[in-house]
Amino acid sequence: MANLERAPRKSFNDLIYDLIFKNYVWQSIFRTGYPNTPRNQMLAVATNVFLHLHPTRIHRTHVKITHTYCLGGLSFFMFLGLTVTGVLLMFYYVPSVERAYQDIQALEANVRFGQLLRNMHRWMAHAMIILVLLHMMRVFYTGAYKPPREFNWVVGVVLFILTLLLSFTGYLLPWDQLAFWAITVGTTMVGSAPVLGDESKFLLLGGFSVGPNALIRFYTLHVIGLPLVISIFLAVHFWRVRRDGGLARPL
Amino acid sequence: MVSRAAAAVRTRPRREREQEVLVWPDLVFIEFISALIFSIALMVLSAMVNAPLLNRADPDTTPNPSKAPWYFLNLQELLLHMEPAWAGVIVPTIALVLLAAIPYWDRDQEGQGVWFGTKFAGRLAIFGFTAATLITSLLIIWDGSLHVVWTENIIRGLGLNSDFSWPGGLDWFRNLRGFDTGIPWDSLGFTIGGFTMFADWRAIPLGIPGTTTDPWLLNLNFPSFLSQQIIPVATMVGLPVLFVLFCKALGWIHTRRDIALLIFSAFIGVYLTTTIVGTAFRGQGQDLKPPWDIVVLEE
Ligand code: HEM
Repeated sequence: MANLERAPRKSFNDLIYDLIFKNYVWQSIFRTGYPNTPRNQMLAVATNVFLHLHPTRIHRTHVKITHTYCLGGLSFFMFLGLTVTGVLLMFYYVPSVERAYQDIQALEANVRFGQLLRNMHRWMAHAMIILVLLHMMRVFYTGAYKPPREFNWVVGVVLFILTLLLSFTGYLLPWDQLAFWAITVGTTMVGSAPVLGDESKFLLLGGFSVGPNALIRFYTLHVIGLPLVISIFLAVHFWRVRRDGGLARPL
Repeated sequence: MVSRAAAAVRTRPRREREQEVLVWPDLVFIEFISALIFSIALMVLSAMVNAPLLNRADPDTTPNPSKAPWYFLNLQELLLHMEPAWAGVIVPTIALVLLAAIPYWDRDQEGQGVWFGTKFAGRLAIFGFTAATLITSLLIIWDGSLHVVWTENIIRGLGLNSDFSWPGGLDWFRNLRGFDTGIPWDSLGFTIGGFTMFADWRAIPLGIPGTTTDPWLLNLNFPSFLSQQIIPVATMVGLPVLFVLFCKALGWIHTRRDIALLIFSAFIGVYLTTTIVGTAFRGQGQDLKPPWDIVVLEE
């Protein structure tokens, strides 16, 4: 009798497992262990602040990679990555005509992983534009803009514009020849608008040409103004995907 | 159609539980893997290719060519073929408004939620994309006068005529601007009322007729108005219309969704072509050049 009640000896693996997952601190963060029953798996999605962007269950055609190619999700992932690398870049960068270029040079030369950080931010920005465009194409070719999703498509178009503007405002910040002339060309195009062209250009640049005022305007829009606005539209976008009954599927 | 769709909605069980999967683990797993793949790919790319950093900005040295960021080069490309107000502002604004308006115009719920939901969707998409890409490329070649260079080179090269050059009578067909300069507008003149065409068309007098006050002249710039506004706009409106009529004649178009498919695909073709040409094929003075011949000078 007594022999049967003795717990079997724990293996080394179990000991490690318990050490990591069954201690006081871990369990204060994740109240339950790995959710291994359907009920717990649904609860995990519904109660986690990040996961609850999802419904708890979705139609099986929508987890097929070829339905969405994860493009919307990846666009959002790029946005998150850009936020993280962007915040790190802000530690090293001062948006003044005297310092901007020098700061980027110093970041590349003196900061450990500085060049990598800058590269990541740059290539993610390009990737995001491409992913957003591809996402738009996937939504179009699957006919997912049709009622009741009309408005979410419009929100999407706004997100696309905001993505371009975020990238454009960031382009000026290194204050090198590429940045300066690209923004000069871009804002000249704005200036050619038939109504309020010169006024819009002046507003954007804080002057008649690209200079210190333009730099501080682009910086502020890039690091706080546009990210805030796009976050609001992203929230609406995701909310609407769920309110409209999940992803579109055939009648 | 509508009644069938309505019936489908009515007979659909409220919850198709057996068709559903759990987000955890099925979807969360896919999201995690795709994020991981992208992180690794971007990490590798960033380790291998550095973001560009040229010399410090200098307002007194203009690079030639000066280019906007690549995602605006489609607009910068348009700039070479029409009035800046159209290229830089009006065309993109109209394009975005039309894009946003698609779902309000194509409202039939048939064929949603699956790739290429209508019978001819695949053909319409391929035709729209390919035809638009080809036509855009040809228009760019024509406006860049490459056909002139090529014809001259071929005729000289074949030894048919060693100092052949593009005939003056065809000057109007050199490029878009050729319409301004290649056609003798003034000798084509005729008179209607007090107006001499085309000389008087250069400016529209906005005075009150019969009074002695000097008329205020609205500058019309006639021949360049034709080549920089009328022709480009007519092309941008006319070609899509022709596309639709053509596919209708082929029997490919039955619903608004089909028209949307055709025009959207054509739009993607134009968007891509102009972006690529603007990025990789424009050298000094925005001349057409193969990518390997493009160098940036600082002037
Ligand atoms: C910053 C840019 C964007 C982000 C992060 C984003 C994100 C997402 C995500 C995560 C989804 C869920 C399904 C999927 O992954 O495909 C989605 C769906 C959707 N998106 Fe976007 N999106 C963006 C831009 C756009 C654009 C440019 C459009 C269209 C012009 C658009 C229209 C839609 C529509 C209509 C749906 C519902 C699709 C369906 O029901 O199948 N989005 N978006």
